[in-house]
Amino acid sequence: MNAQVIVCCGSGGVGKTTTSAALAVRWATEGDRVCVLTIDPAKRLADSLGLADIGGQPTVIPLPNAPGQCDAVMLDVQETFEGLIRTFSASEASASRILENRYFQFASTRLGGVHEYMAAEKVRELATIGHYDTIIVDTPPTRNALDFLEAPERMAELMNGSVMRWLSSTSKTGGWKAFELGGEAITRVLQTLVGDNTIGDIAQFFDLFRELWDGFQSRSLEVQAMLRDETTRFLLVSSPSSAARTEALFFLDQLRNKSMPFGGFLVNRVEGPVPFEKSLLPTNGPGDWATVASQIEELHATQSDLVAIHERSIDSLASAGPPNTPIWRIPHQGTPVNSIASLTALAEFLPSRNEI
Amino acid sequence: MKTFDRRLLIVTGKGGTGKTTVTAALGLAHARRGLRTLLVECNGTRRLGPLLGGEPSTYAPQRVDENLFTLSITSDEAIEDFIIKQIKIRALYTMVFKNRIMGPFMDAVPGLHDAVHLGKVYELAEEDFTNGSPTWDRIIVDAPATGHGLHILNAPRAMMELTRRGPIFKNAKLVHDLTSNTSQTGIVMTCLPEAMPVSETLALHSSLIESGYSVTAVVLNEMIAAPLPDPLGWPPVREMLQASNMEETTHLVDRFYARQQRQHDAQKTLQETIQAPVLPLPLLMDSPFDRESIQTLAGQLDAAMEPE
Repeated sequence: MNAQVIVCCGSGGVGKTTTSAALAVRWATEGDRVCVLTIDPAKRLADSLGLADIGGQPTVIPLPNAPGQCDAVMLDVQETFEGLIRTFSASEASASRILENRYFQFASTRLGGVHEYMAAEKVRELATIGHYDTIIVDTPPTRNALDFLEAPERMAELMNGSVMRWLSSTSKTGGWKAFELGGEAITRVLQTLVGDNTIGDIAQFFDLFRELWDGFQSRSLEVQAMLRDETTRFLLVSSPSSAARTEALFFLDQLRNKSMPFGGFLVNRVEGPVPFEKSLLPTNGPGDWATVASQIEELHATQSDLVAIHERSIDSLASAGPPNTPIWRIPHQGTPVNSIASLTALAEFLPSRNEI
Repeated sequence: MKTFDRRLLIVTGKGGTGKTTVTAALGLAHARRGLRTLLVECNGTRRLGPLLGGEPSTYAPQRVDENLFTLSITSDEAIEDFIIKQIKIRALYTMVFKNRIMGPFMDAVPGLHDAVHLGKVYELAEEDFTNGSPTWDRIIVDAPATGHGLHILNAPRAMMELTRRGPIFKNAKLVHDLTSNTSQTGIVMTCLPEAMPVSETLALHSSLIESGYSVTAVVLNEMIAAPLPDPLGWPPVREMLQASNMEETTHLVDRFYARQQRQHDAQKTLQETIQAPVLPLPLLMDSPFDRESIQTLAGQLDAAMEPE
């Protein structure tokens, strides 16, 4: 059976990576075999786990008292792409030709979008190897995460073939005419825009790629099915800041439009009320006591302001979500979360396995 | 050279560090000085207009205030715009690109969507009135967060390397010449006073320098000026409060001290590493956070700018 996929989405800077890792820790503590995948370009997961380097392969996060297992993987885009090409190539020689193609090298290392394609593929790989009950996915900031949802779909459309077949045929005939619908016009336009050389490189790439079409296409359909599986859940990670809230609501809309299963909000860094009984404050004290006492009172007022802002923000998330949307509040930790101990402390405030 | 004295300012930073807020505040500050200012949103975001009390931005500039305009780039519109300018015939564009086959292909061409953003910005920067004076004295771009922001900023060079000649190459080179000209273009980075955003800001800073950009300022957002007791006198007070069952109050004060220390460390680390002014902005408790809040921040930035 495939592992359940939990996708943590949200804008940057809300603590998505940390939250994903803490969720993995929690579920491992509850007995799950979990793997957390970070696809964020910044190496933040490594920081929050106190590990110097997590490669493209699962690394065990040591949790001495956990009955389950907690692994972490950092997406390696190029490694994943190369792995796919090797899997679907007829021979090592044809795989090498693709890997050496200038357009491939360019596309796989330098440009956006490919990242999301490969993240989705890595999730599929981890979910199907049979080692895990759950894959928790940390995604890039909001608008990129949309690409993550759409990447497999786009891939399927692209692999659908018409353009690819046409492009690859141009490299064979050199005549640019295999295309029925205004093929010559297209050729002229593309040549004008990007020049012959580039078209040649791209055409060669797609030609070499042809034998991989079927494999890639069935893969991308599998990934789509996995993201739409009834056990998959999308969690929206947010913080009480207005920017994060706006982005979370934007993302919620996208999930709705795509009928992706929404599991609830995780709100990070929430300030809670600190009780203040003014009458308990001594009337006399060291130093300039009148000043100190008024400063203490003012700090409580500042805290109350912060709490009020956070509550309003959370209320507006709640009212935007579907009825009875679960919201988990994670208190502001005060100190950076950068060790396994601090992750475990954070995990206490996260949903338990059976709540998702 | 003066801090914000660049024709093109690009605001970027880690997600959630206040890029949009800073873009809006910089916009107001410049417009108030009589500079015709255009604020540009990327990837179809439309937050700046409403934040400044106006309508959501469109692909055409919209006026939100005296001397202040907003515009939102979607890559689809920018791609169409660019290609039609190259091939000159709209019908040909529609035939070639607006069909079931080419549509998905264009979506899948990696980097194209990134590249056209700065392409459009370049075009706006080159725009003149009929009398030859530039349409925009300042263009301020609210760029996406770290990773994606770098993709967009590196796109001109990436496109040059991919194409090597042809109109896309020429266009990318023009864009690259503008954005790598340090007297024309400056990066404004946003940051929060916490360890992780600071270390990401430093990492982003070196990537930007490596890509030939010049960082003109770092805005350090959400600084709290808490009315803290003198730290030297705090320990005896703390003891006394604990004896009076005010444990929670002592924790609160300790947390504010810790926060102040983090703010101090953040500012110091940024100042030591980045050869540009670090400008702190206060955390505003305003509700709602609206145009008036932006005005407050614009006032603070204006004070940090050169005298008129």
